Amino acid sequence: MRVVIAEDAALLREGLTRLLEDRGHAVVAAVNDGEGLLAAVAEHKPDVAVVDIRMPPTHTDEGLRAALELRRSFPGVGVLMFSQYIETSYSAQLLEGGAAGVGYLLKDRVANVAEFAAALERVAGGGTALDPEVVSQLFRASRQRGGLTTLTPRERQVLALMAEGRSNAGIAAELVISGGAVEKHVASIFTKLGLPPDDNDNRRVLAVLRYLGSPALRAAG
Amino acid sequence: MAEQIRRVTGTILRAPLTRRTVRELQYCALSGLAGVAGFAVTMVLLVSGVTVTGSVVGTVVGLLLLTLALRLSRRLAALHRRLAGWLLGERVEAPPNFQPGSGILGRLDKRLRDRTAWRAVSYSLVKLPVAAVQLYCLMATLIGVVDVTYPVDWLLFRHHAGGSLHPLMAPNPVSFGAKLEIYSWPGTFLVALLGALGVVAGTWLARGVNAGDRRLIRGLLGPSRVSELERTRTLAVDDAAAALRRVERDLHDGAQMRLAALAMNLGMAREKLDDADEATVRELIDAAQRNAVDALADLRDLARGIHPPALDLGLPSALATLATSSAIPATVTADIPARPAPAIESIAYFCAAELIANATKHSYANHIKINIYTERSGVLRLEVTDDGVGGADAARGSGLAGLAQRVSTVDGRLDVSSPPGGPTMVRVELPLKA
Repeated sequence: MRVVIAEDAALLREGLTRLLEDRGHAVVAAVNDGEGLLAAVAEHKPDVAVVDIRMPPTHTDEGLRAALELRRSFPGVGVLMFSQYIETSYSAQLLEGGAAGVGYLLKDRVANVAEFAAALERVAGGGTALDPEVVSQLFRASRQRGGLTTLTPRERQVLALMAEGRSNAGIAAELVISGGAVEKHVASIFTKLGLPPDDNDNRRVLAVLRYLGSPALRAAG
Repeated sequence: MAEQIRRVTGTILRAPLTRRTVRELQYCALSGLAGVAGFAVTMVLLVSGVTVTGSVVGTVVGLLLLTLALRLSRRLAALHRRLAGWLLGERVEAPPNFQPGSGILGRLDKRLRDRTAWRAVSYSLVKLPVAAVQLYCLMATLIGVVDVTYPVDWLLFRHHAGGSLHPLMAPNPVSFGAKLEIYSWPGTFLVALLGALGVVAGTWLARGVNAGDRRLIRGLLGPSRVSELERTRTLAVDDAAAALRRVERDLHDGAQMRLAALAMNLGMAREKLDDADEATVRELIDAAQRNAVDALADLRDLARGIHPPALDLGLPSALATLATSSAIPATVTADIPARPAPAIESIAYFCAAELIANATKHSYANHIKINIYTERSGVLRLEVTDDGVGGADAARGSGLAGLAQRVSTVDGRLDVSSPPGGPTMVRVELPLKA
């Protein structure tokens, strides 16, 4: 996997580079601002970019803006936002063009190296990796509108893991239930939501997100 | 000494010929006339307004007259400010514009409570004697000028040949009403001399009375206490918001970032445990430990920046702690019998910290003296003096300007004395209660 890192804190930039190279990935560029990111992606055509949200010069959301620009100009490149904050409006903007090849993780998640690397690989492969925080924020917003009332608690758990981008096997392992039980829950969720089942992970995430009903997502194709 | 006397005399005698004098006299004329007219109109409107309002039938008319007087006073105030700015170079900031209320009664209420207008009315009243003196100065100077031309007039017109001449004299306390009569051409030189004296006296008196008028305009026609408070309140609110943003930024770039790195180090170390790669594990744990220690230091600095723990014991010990950590040797003398309000202590502490930091950065001083004491009048004084190179400027140094703003939010003052070559002394004056 070929990776570009955009992160202004040298400590984290170097740490990430080492972490990924240890696992046999190639970090082709490590930059510290949005402009550098766009230039590096144009030059190296990586599989995925890890992007910090707050970077120079304004230290607000230049990472997000660079990421949105990446999504437009280089749709094949996965984008993993990597931040100390989860902002609902950021997730909404990021997912506006669809959830394929998109991730948004808290920096805390890097503590579990294996899971972090797996999430990055999923994003590079066109999948999705949303932080549990992102999912629970979207859930809260949805519950306030009364959207999730028809689901059982177990189904909501499964839905949350689906939203994070996990496969059925991953969900089964996480909840310590059988694969067949997961399939049953997923089918039930789709029935209740009136969605035809589909074995493509990414379409599942899209469906889940659209159901969760962030306004930005509802407008998206 | 003789040289000095000659110089002063020269200045006094040459003054009437300067451009400034012309402007001062112009001001006397325009402002004096405007003052008299303004007084007359304001008085008529106010008195008739009040009397008519008092009668049962005339309330509406009376109130209208009153509001008219107040509106007019605002206009007059603007005129006086403009004259002072144009001719005397006295730029007085205009007070905030009138904010009309809603509904007829609301409007009326706002008008009648318009402090700015009432202050303008009081200026119009006080202005009358000032205007009288201003017009007198103008008259005395003009008469003096006419008197100075008498020798030439006599020669040109000889209209008093063989007769006598009663020169015009400005009323003055010196001549005790004595009348002067001139019978010959040489005599006119006496008149010219008296005229010249009149010109010099008139112009200097004009400067004096105009200086007084400027004070009145600054005090009565500038922004009031309320609008000044509104301004400093905005500064205080902005200051608080900026401080919170700074804390957030420091957390984000400091402790949070280090803890994320720490988590990453530990995560990687854990993976390496499985590979039994002891050297790498040790290195990663070392890095994790470093990050933990750095994060603690960041948090400690941040916490101290929010509220220095030493301040709990009072300013003297907080400042003593501050002085011991100063790069330039610093001594503290403190005399604070009663503790000021916490907010004041905090401002004084941060002023001292900032001033010490400034001195360390810019002054090349060998020693810093910090003196803090309370005065019986309820004032806390902080003086930070260094024996460095001087040249500090509150207008240019953004740090000093920021301090001055912060101090002004509690009605304090900050004065800088820093001649090139030093020493630099910054005096901060704060009330004991915020």
